[in-house]
Amino acid sequence: MKRNNLLFLTLKVFSATGGIEKVCRVFGKSLYEYGVENNSAVQVYAMHGNRAAVDDNKYFPAEMFRSFRSQRIRCTLASVKKGCESRMVVISHINLLVIGWLIKKLSPCTQIVLFTHGIEVWHPLSRFKRKMLQGCDKIIAVSRFTADKLNELHHVSPSKLHVINNCLDPFLPLPDNEATNSGLRQRYGFKETDKVLFTLTRLSASERYKGYDLVMHAIVNLKLTHPEIRYLLSGSYDVEEKKYLDEIINRLGLSQQVVMTGYVSDEELAAHFLMADIYVMPSIKEGFGIVFIEAMYYGLPVLAGNKDGSVDALCDGKLGWLVDPLNVFEIQNAIEAMLNDKEAHKPSRELLLKHFSYDAYKLKVNNILSF
Amino acid sequence: MCRIAGMVHPGMDVKNIEQTVLGMCKLLQHGGPDDEGLYTSHADHLVLGNRRLAILDLSSAGHQPMSYQDRYHITYNGEIYNFRELKEELQDLGHYFLTHTDTEVILAAYSQWNTHSFSKFKGMFAFAIWDNHLKELLLVRDAAGMKPMYYSTATGGMVFASEIRAFKMVSYLGEADKNWPVYLMAYGHIPEPATTLKEVKPLHKGCFLKYELHSGKQNLQSFAHYSYTKKKFVGGENVSNEVVNTFTNAVERHLIADAPLGVFLSGGLDSGIISSVASSLKKSRLNSLSLYFEDEEYSEKKYQDILLNELQCTPHQYLLGETEFHANFPAILAAMDMPGCDGINTWFISKFAAQEGLKAVLSGIGADELFGGYPSFTRIKFSGLLRHVPKMLTSRGRGSSIKRFNRLSYLQLNGIKGTYLFLRGHFSPNDIARQLGNSEKEVWSILDQMPVINELNDLQLKNQASWMEFNMYMQNQLLRDADVMGMAHGIEIRIPFLDDEFVRMVLKIDPEEKYGGPLPKQWLIDRYKDMLPQPIWDRPKMGFSFPFRKWLTNSTYVKEMMKNGGVQTQKNYLKFLEGNLHWSQLMSLIILSNRNEA
Repeated sequence: MKRNNLLFLTLKVFSATGGIEKVCRVFGKSLYEYGVENNSAVQVYAMHGNRAAVDDNKYFPAEMFRSFRSQRIRCTLASVKKGCESRMVVISHINLLVIGWLIKKLSPCTQIVLFTHGIEVWHPLSRFKRKMLQGCDKIIAVSRFTADKLNELHHVSPSKLHVINNCLDPFLPLPDNEATNSGLRQRYGFKETDKVLFTLTRLSASERYKGYDLVMHAIVNLKLTHPEIRYLLSGSYDVEEKKYLDEIINRLGLSQQVVMTGYVSDEELAAHFLMADIYVMPSIKEGFGIVFIEAMYYGLPVLAGNKDGSVDALCDGKLGWLVDPLNVFEIQNAIEAMLNDKEAHKPSRELLLKHFSYDAYKLKVNNILSF
Repeated sequence: MCRIAGMVHPGMDVKNIEQTVLGMCKLLQHGGPDDEGLYTSHADHLVLGNRRLAILDLSSAGHQPMSYQDRYHITYNGEIYNFRELKEELQDLGHYFLTHTDTEVILAAYSQWNTHSFSKFKGMFAFAIWDNHLKELLLVRDAAGMKPMYYSTATGGMVFASEIRAFKMVSYLGEADKNWPVYLMAYGHIPEPATTLKEVKPLHKGCFLKYELHSGKQNLQSFAHYSYTKKKFVGGENVSNEVVNTFTNAVERHLIADAPLGVFLSGGLDSGIISSVASSLKKSRLNSLSLYFEDEEYSEKKYQDILLNELQCTPHQYLLGETEFHANFPAILAAMDMPGCDGINTWFISKFAAQEGLKAVLSGIGADELFGGYPSFTRIKFSGLLRHVPKMLTSRGRGSSIKRFNRLSYLQLNGIKGTYLFLRGHFSPNDIARQLGNSEKEVWSILDQMPVINELNDLQLKNQASWMEFNMYMQNQLLRDADVMGMAHGIEIRIPFLDDEFVRMVLKIDPEEKYGGPLPKQWLIDRYKDMLPQPIWDRPKMGFSFPFRKWLTNSTYVKEMMKNGGVQTQKNYLKFLEGNLHWSQLMSLIILSNRNEA
């Protein structure tokens, strides 16, 4: 019988700020706690990122983390060895699945569990990848949308599919603990009476699917009835995208309305949410959209697209407003309604925590880990 | 500082629960002589119990279990040293306080920040909070694991207590963990998460366990942990100064009390540093407590006197004689909660502290673990080399009468556990099997399964030794002794070297710098030698040892006990009398016999 060891195999955990890394950190924490509770040795291996990144992290003790600093062969060999000694290997990304496949070949009783997030599995895969996917013992999908895609496109049996929505980071600062008067409005030149729409995302020319350009189009009309409307677009951007957006802003005459901040640090995140009035991101390729639940955690009404994993994050519209993300008029109408009555569109905190608290997440994760 | 117990069980009659918790508190009253309290929520089948040792706000205002806003109820054991700062912060947020206790600050903080509050508490603590609105019970334990918290969720309820002995009152938890004698003989104590009871376990340090009454769901979460830095080491003069200042602040915080307190002064470096720093800070004269022996070989009186000459304190020195040892030995065994082969010294010094009317005493625990004071810091290298020797050869040592050879076989166990047992183990699996009548294979399997410890290969070697001493020896032996043996006399033992901020800083220091130099703990010596007389830091290490072999040899109590033991016990006793068994190994046999009789 295998020992009760668990291995979590990741690409990056601490050295990047994307959604998948967030999921890995929180999952790593729940894994650590599972180990404590069940007398299991748990280990997190990261193919990329340096060792220093783990020092001082709040999620789990540095001892359980090992980074291979992009030494792929070393990482593969060590992971296969460790994986074969483990009862279960959880793989954070399909790009690492070949390691899981090798482990399964060498140690058939080791359970292979794959995390699937979004677009990485929404398109046709090579025959080999699909075979590996079907060979997994369990597949965690972060949303029903992703689970459906796995079933439709790759014929993964529904019995293997488990939807575990992402959750709120347990270390997010409490909403009432942040100074609402953070000086951010002043920094960005907003008046207290201005109504601020907010989008936080990576602004990349190659990934242009978050819908912020459509929001700008909507604002063109909205500013006529709501001259106090402003749009805060945050997140790091590449040169090409900045140029593209500057052009749109100029063309649409929105230089008074739109402010692009660039990267926002984790420390300032809560203050940005608290300063804004509405969170808008009519995205079309969202695996889940952690940022939606974060925005709602800070009490913001949320607008999202109805064509992807966002539907789960907004609880089928019970927590926020779902629109056709390609329809500017729908976006415009939704924003207008929210501007007219912000209070009525605030998400229910109780419902949010019931679905997306770390407590709720842990229970689902423990079910997977215990099998 | 107190003893706590409690129970919630939807399937049990609340009167029955109340009787159980009252009984548990009675078994814990030694640790809380000043007051007793019970909170009952009849509708929820919940009872919280408390035995109080009053140190902050000695008035009845500090009575526990304490309530806040008629919603939160707490039974709490420990000290939050930064409670005054937190109180100010909470007052600014509109909280109003009725007492001067840290207990009330915990409640207000929880009401304000929920589980985020736990990582704000700097100190040693274990508490249970009942949220009467959400119907949730939370058990919480400090990040260094200084205060104990044991619990069980068997049969659908939740029971908790500061000591294992209290669970005697819970009829359905009586079944012993049949493996504990193996752990005791291998480790000299019961390593977490094992206990002597099958269904009871310790709450892991830095964690909280939430129990939801209505669903019966339980959820364990970590709120703080200590990590040994892997890469971003710090060092140099500025860092040293910062660490020294942090320690001075830590000692100052540890001196907060409304009842008289003192410092244990062994004559060694660690207690010398604490005493010097404390006496330089304390406005009123500090009480120091020391033990010494007639036998020059063991006595540290010479060093104690040198230190006392320099310090501004009121010294209390006690000569511990053999007669007193014999008279108290049965009481010491009775005071022991979880079995362990040490703690006798702590029992005596706490007794003397209580005689002097003190309520809290500062101890030097933690310095050896953090700064490399143990031989394991140098020996760990050899254990690494010996692992490359074929098993066939290492297992040959198992029949040897020489303890070190005997323990070689432990290197068959993977990782730091094997290293620990090789360096610090008591009996070999072979001897354990013989003594307990198990097969050797069974013993190996028991030791292999528990505890499970993650690989530490990525840590610098001496940091691995430090991790091992900090998380294994200190956690399972020293901290348990400090808590239980102190509480046996109503004495709270405070541990400034485990101050949260201080520990976090020390774990970042470059190991080359931290463990470098010719003497053990050279880093500490270099920082404090100007404050201390040279003989204190430039001396052979004695530890806090006892003339134990001699006293146990002469003990008729032990002799009688061994006589009534099995053949193997008698054989081992004979080995001890012949000088072929260490006194600490004999202690395992004494405890096993003692518990069998009970």
